[in-house]
Amino acid sequence: MRLRSRLRSWKQTLLRRSHVETDMDAELRSHIDSYAEDLVRTGIPRSEALRRARLEFGGLERVKEECRESRGISFIESLAQDLRYGLRMLRKSPGFTTVAVLTLALGIGANTAIFTILNSAALHLLPVPRADQLVTVGQSIRNTKGSIHRNVHDDDSFVSYSEYQVYAKENRAFSGLLAYSAFTETTLVLNKPQPIMGTLTSCNYFDVLEIRPALGRFFSDSDCAAPGESAVVVLGDSAWRGTFAADPAIVGKTITLNRTPFRVIGIAPPGFDGTVAVASAFWAPVTMVKAFRPARDYLADDYLSWLALIGRLKPGVSARQASANLNVVASGLNSLQPGRITAVTLSRATLLGMPSLRTPLLIIGGLVMAAVGLVLALACANIANLLLARAAGRRKEIAVRLTVGASRARLLRQLLTENLLLAFLGGAAGALASYWSVAALFRFTLAHLPTGPELNFSLHLRSDFNTWLYAFALSAITACLFGLAPALRASRVDLSLAMKDDGAQSQTGTISAGRLRNFLVGSQVAVCMLLLLAAGLLLHGLYRAQTEDPGFRMNDVEAAAFDLSGAGYAPPRAAAFQQQLLDRLASLPGVDAVVQATSIPLANSHDLTGFSTPDKSRDFEVEYNHVSANFFRALDIPLLQGRVFTAAEEQSGAHVTILSQSTARRFFPQQNPIGQVLHGGGEPNSGVTDWQVVGVVADAQVASLGDSRKLYLYEPAGPAQQADLSVMVRTAAQDPSIGKELNTILGDLDPSLSVTIGPMSDTLEFWREPARVVSVFSLILGTLALLLASLGIYGTVSYGVSRRVREIGIRMALGADVRHVMWLVIRQAMFPVLLGALIGAVLCAGVSSVFSAVLFGLSPLDPGSFLLMPAFLLAVALLACYLPARRAMRVDPMVALRYE
Amino acid sequence: MDKQLELLQGTLDMLILKAVSLSPLHGYGILLRIQQISKDRLEIQQGSLYPALYRLEHQGWISSEWGESENNRKAKYYRLTAAGRRRLKTELHNWKRMSDVIAGILRTTPEEI
Repeated sequence: MRLRSRLRSWKQTLLRRSHVETDMDAELRSHIDSYAEDLVRTGIPRSEALRRARLEFGGLERVKEECRESRGISFIESLAQDLRYGLRMLRKSPGFTTVAVLTLALGIGANTAIFTILNSAALHLLPVPRADQLVTVGQSIRNTKGSIHRNVHDDDSFVSYSEYQVYAKENRAFSGLLAYSAFTETTLVLNKPQPIMGTLTSCNYFDVLEIRPALGRFFSDSDCAAPGESAVVVLGDSAWRGTFAADPAIVGKTITLNRTPFRVIGIAPPGFDGTVAVASAFWAPVTMVKAFRPARDYLADDYLSWLALIGRLKPGVSARQASANLNVVASGLNSLQPGRITAVTLSRATLLGMPSLRTPLLIIGGLVMAAVGLVLALACANIANLLLARAAGRRKEIAVRLTVGASRARLLRQLLTENLLLAFLGGAAGALASYWSVAALFRFTLAHLPTGPELNFSLHLRSDFNTWLYAFALSAITACLFGLAPALRASRVDLSLAMKDDGAQSQTGTISAGRLRNFLVGSQVAVCMLLLLAAGLLLHGLYRAQTEDPGFRMNDVEAAAFDLSGAGYAPPRAAAFQQQLLDRLASLPGVDAVVQATSIPLANSHDLTGFSTPDKSRDFEVEYNHVSANFFRALDIPLLQGRVFTAAEEQSGAHVTILSQSTARRFFPQQNPIGQVLHGGGEPNSGVTDWQVVGVVADAQVASLGDSRKLYLYEPAGPAQQADLSVMVRTAAQDPSIGKELNTILGDLDPSLSVTIGPMSDTLEFWREPARVVSVFSLILGTLALLLASLGIYGTVSYGVSRRVREIGIRMALGADVRHVMWLVIRQAMFPVLLGALIGAVLCAGVSSVFSAVLFGLSPLDPGSFLLMPAFLLAVALLACYLPARRAMRVDPMVALRYE
Repeated sequence: MDKQLELLQGTLDMLILKAVSLSPLHGYGILLRIQQISKDRLEIQQGSLYPALYRLEHQGWISSEWGESENNRKAKYYRLTAAGRRRLKTELHNWKRMSDVIAGILRTTPEEI
């Protein structure tokens, strides 16, 4: 019942506000009048009686305000009032409002956009029914004695086929456990060979995911019964629509994948692109792996990590229970190898379930997030600064409101409402802008990343509840960040001083405000310094990537990369192919040399294995490449010691090696490396052997751009490597037709072989593109930061000068030198700038090593950037100080003294 | 006459409830009633009366309606509701207990400890 009466009184106040107000007014007046009448009756004159009645009653407005508050409604009511008032104030100063809203929109928009991408990638569940039941199972293996033999394909958290079968059979936690191997590149031959990317899956894949086919059927258990028996394939929706023109009759027909005929049994529904961030064009049974990767027996290798696992939790089983159960199963695998300790970890299944993909993305995402966060902080500082200046202008208004009875809390609430309004306007604009632009931005970034043409990202950027919540929370936090300090200051006004229009108090009264402003400017400069230095470093890195001499010849060399082993060539057939290719290329006019290598330099294919000296005192991971003997001369890599491979060594695949200079120094310091022996691998199947060092060549950036000291050695391209070799053709002069010739010859030799042909210098683009994206991004942020910071400095100094016109006037009237006055202004303004710059530089020096991947050998403390950028920033800051300071110089003492 | 006493914190609500429990009154009337009963020994800030009235009405312990005052002036009359009557009863009860306790403490002589 009490609730009802409260509701009634709220309803009354809300709906009949003016009525309630007049009621209250009439009631209070009637009280005063009655009292006055009583006083008149005691013989006091009417006018005196009224005066006394009012006096004894107390402040009428204050009483009213208290009455409103005791009705309980006043919070909502005053909020509405504050909002109206806030809107009016914002409308009254459109310049300030526009600048503030735009700045905030930019900051919040950028943050929301980045969050949308991270949210879609790392937080979204898989686009399948009841995705919250799905968990990714990752296996980790520790060893207690010696090293355990383990081969890794894609990610070391993956399991082997036999391990998958153990997990699938023995676990009690899942209603189903599926295995898949994504990123299976293969060649589809329709009219001409084209590369496509798909997924090999266990046959319960679609059942566990609870996906129904759009057409045809999905795999049944019999499809996975025996290795190599069931050549069936399910096509992805986008591949079906794109490559097969959405032909429904394709189901039941046969397509050729990597020379093997596969029968199409079904089409996946639209919206399901697989379980990784790259869309799958097809799915084939995992037992058909030999058709796609003939070089190795994937199914029989018990120590090969190549299958990712996703399980669907049984109803009522928690992730914890499942984890415990699977670890029991995992410990059963320990008996496979002596000293092995197997453990599993469960995580929510997302498109980025693979740790080797997720970790770098989250690191990069975190960095970008931090950078845009800093820009937002900068924007906040700027608006705080503007608000402080405005608060000074509103002192009188605030003083008046305090005098007529507004409480400080009420006033504070009103100022904060104004700030919130500002923040939400900016936040809404920013969130909408990011909503519309993030997909385009993401596509732009992807287009500038080095990805093959067959990559089709299945990441659907979606703005969901999380995104909007993020933007909303960010706006609220922003409002507090930029609004709280100025509002607190503004509501603390000394009434008697503020009511007098006395300029003298402006100096004493704003000392702490000045300190706050200096702090803001200092932190702005620090953030700006940090971002500018990062931009400087990255730009210098990009410059390096563009101009760096990789230490070997790139011009006039055409490279043709192809994968005979993936296409099913056995070594003898591959050798015949290579021989024909070499013969035909050599007969072309203008060809100086035809070079073979398993890895084309800088083409981002890396073979890495452990090598050690015989006494095991030095043991390093070294990249290796199988090359023909003419590799070094054709690519202008100087031979420093010893000799290159002989024709006999090449033909026999002798165990001899040529080291790069740094590698020779690491393994054999102060010794002659020639004739020494290295113990290590080099071929997947031959295991560990001894390699005799026959030569040393100069360091070259063959492995990664900007890094010539990476450990690297060469082995002869022998009979065992024939199926893995690609070719490079060096011509006498720039010959644009050579690419076409290469294509024709390769097409003649094998029409269904998929080949990538291009000038060697194109491989540089792989390294430059990320550098370009990162530098452009950091440059934009840096420029934005500089703009905001210099606006901040300019605003602070010019405000300071305007407050001190009188003081400056007095100084000049007393004979102070004009230049001296200006120096005074600039010195005071530059102090926080210098301090901030110093802090920013130190911060950047602390974190700049994270950029090393795109610096191409540049030191993270590159003196060029660390001198130029601060000089540039300080010059801009000085200019931002100088412009308003010049006004101080022009102050006419007489005008200034009369001013107030 | 003794110097006027300042009102104890929190007692104004109880006094108002008591005053309107005798007969419906307007704001000024409540003030006069309390002063009359207390023989002018209590000092009540006139302004503070109204926020208290609004609060009590909001809580449903008193209700109001406009009427004519004794000197033909429009005035808002407050009356006690049923809930207010119960409230007054508990307040009186609590007050009695409180004043007994305090009086007991104040009466204590050294021998009793």
